[in-house]
Amino acid sequence: MALLEIKDLQVSFDTAAGRILALNGVSFSLERGEVLALLGESGSGKSVTAAAIMDLIPDPPGAINEGTIHFDGADILRLPQNERRDLCGSRIALIFQDALAALNPVYPVGWQIAEMFRIHGRTPEVGIDKAVLDLLTAVGIPDPIRRARQYPHEFSGGMRQRIMIAMAVALEPDIIIADEPTTALDVTIQAQIIDLLDRVRKRSDAGMIFITHDLGVVAELADRVAVMYAGRIVETADVFELFEDPRHPYSNGLLASQPRMDSEEAELLPIPGSAPNPAALPSGCAFRTRCPRSADICAKDVPALQSMGPGRQVACHFPVVSA
Amino acid sequence: MNKPLLKVENLSRHFGSAQAPVRAVENVSFEIARGETLGLVGESGCGKTSLVRTLLKLGPATSGRAFLDDVDITTASGKQLHALRRKMQVVFQDPYQSLNPRMRVDRLISEPWALHPDVLPKSRWRDETVNLLESVGLRAEHAERYPSEFSGGQRQRLGIARALALNPTLLVCDEPVSALDVSVQAQVVNLLAKLRSERNLAMLFVAHDLAVVRHVSDRVMVMYLGKIIETGPKDAIFNAPAHPYTQALLSAVPTPDPKLRGSRKRIVLQGDLPSPANPPSGCRFRTRCWKATSICAEQDPRLIERTAAPGLLTACHHAD
Repeated sequence: MALLEIKDLQVSFDTAAGRILALNGVSFSLERGEVLALLGESGSGKSVTAAAIMDLIPDPPGAINEGTIHFDGADILRLPQNERRDLCGSRIALIFQDALAALNPVYPVGWQIAEMFRIHGRTPEVGIDKAVLDLLTAVGIPDPIRRARQYPHEFSGGMRQRIMIAMAVALEPDIIIADEPTTALDVTIQAQIIDLLDRVRKRSDAGMIFITHDLGVVAELADRVAVMYAGRIVETADVFELFEDPRHPYSNGLLASQPRMDSEEAELLPIPGSAPNPAALPSGCAFRTRCPRSADICAKDVPALQSMGPGRQVACHFPVVSA
Repeated sequence: MNKPLLKVENLSRHFGSAQAPVRAVENVSFEIARGETLGLVGESGCGKTSLVRTLLKLGPATSGRAFLDDVDITTASGKQLHALRRKMQVVFQDPYQSLNPRMRVDRLISEPWALHPDVLPKSRWRDETVNLLESVGLRAEHAERYPSEFSGGQRQRLGIARALALNPTLLVCDEPVSALDVSVQAQVVNLLAKLRSERNLAMLFVAHDLAVVRHVSDRVMVMYLGKIIETGPKDAIFNAPAHPYTQALLSAVPTPDPKLRGSRKRIVLQGDLPSPANPPSGCRFRTRCWKATSICAEQDPRLIERTAAPGLLTACHHAD
């Protein structure tokens, strides 16, 4: 059985423009030790997926209307609140994009890491200080005894992200969800953080959901990719297959529109238009207004996510088939 | 060789007190020819934005000079500065903040003509607005809308149309696509490339996305802690960089091809950027450099061309 199994998840938000469906029938699974990239642009539903798993959907205006999230044999959406809360942080951990906003500015970072142990209460009080220092060392913070007493503003962006990672892995979770953890960082720092994430994940054999819009980062560390568009998963594939042979026209367009640093292209091939307004999605397939392959049926029927070979699912009436 | 359009000589920009200044830009010299695109790369805090702001005269230069068509930007004021601004225009990073939300598009685009009445008679504003909108891929009817009615990519097109209204010779693009969604970035990159060749525009293209910079630039300049550490034709910079920092920077960029995973040698730099208020002695990169020796702490390396790599200028005692 998969470590995490999400089925038909639907999340809505009530806004001034009416009810919008941020997620509309999202299903995927994650295995132990696997890195799954959720790839998509702003508004595609990547972060809402993470928030739904972590019980962070603000209700109201948000609501999980349908679907199940099975973890360790139980549907966590139906667990009592206290059990659900205990799971999040200890067995499923989240790393945010903006560490400065996620850390509490008025407490020293060592205290904040220690809080993980206190709240989930499995480490005896006498062992906590040492555990914090070990974690800071493990995530590459030099001079941990001094640094543990400092406040978030005294750290650089990369160092703050290391502290977030230390908090996330403190209780050796089974699943690490990383929501754009390197997007705010410079590339040389991004390289350090990706290396670190890879190392801490392998150490505990945790599964990881890596949320990003960066195809380069996906190619670097994912095993499998789920491509999201307008609240749905439009393609899932092994990372090598996705880059070699994208089947959904959106995945295909995304790959073709990227300039490469290691080669020269005469002209980029952009996807026309821009992502649709979630309050007024096109009928049928949400991508059809930007799609070179769309036909009448695309306006009528939402294409279902269908299997196209092992590990490969595509939601398209006219998937791209390579020559 | 023709005379350069932009010629920057030993330009510096310091902030704070004269006793302990933050040296955001230190002794920077370079040129841009007519019709040429110079890419400027570097990480946050390297001085890219301070350099751009000084060139646009949005802040004073501490020392040094910068000439646009023989007119010194650093000392220009009044009428001279007004005329300079006509020739150099800017496209900003955030199309949500750089367009006045209360102005209709036709006013946004014709505002530059109101400030420079000799460029275009009022009777022609309407037609020219439509021409500009169409040249950036928008439509005539968009003239009657407000910025809030446009997507991010469309707003950036508006920003570009407005920047082109005065028919500048130099377009400064400060991270023009980094706020846009990936699928939309390519549209704007292609648009800039098209306009550049149609209008023989020179561009200073500032971006942290190295793949985009490679795509649009003729030459590239790399900054680190306020200094230019390497500059040259883009192929030289991307295929055979000689400065350790450029090498590390390029190697850190993830390549969108899983087959290359692990096959490329990635140089992971240790530590963070030092503070520009208190930069290391000698070479500013030495504290993170794996090649550093005692000379690097003593002497600041000059930006020089070496016989091994013609056209490539590198500031390093141990360049490859």
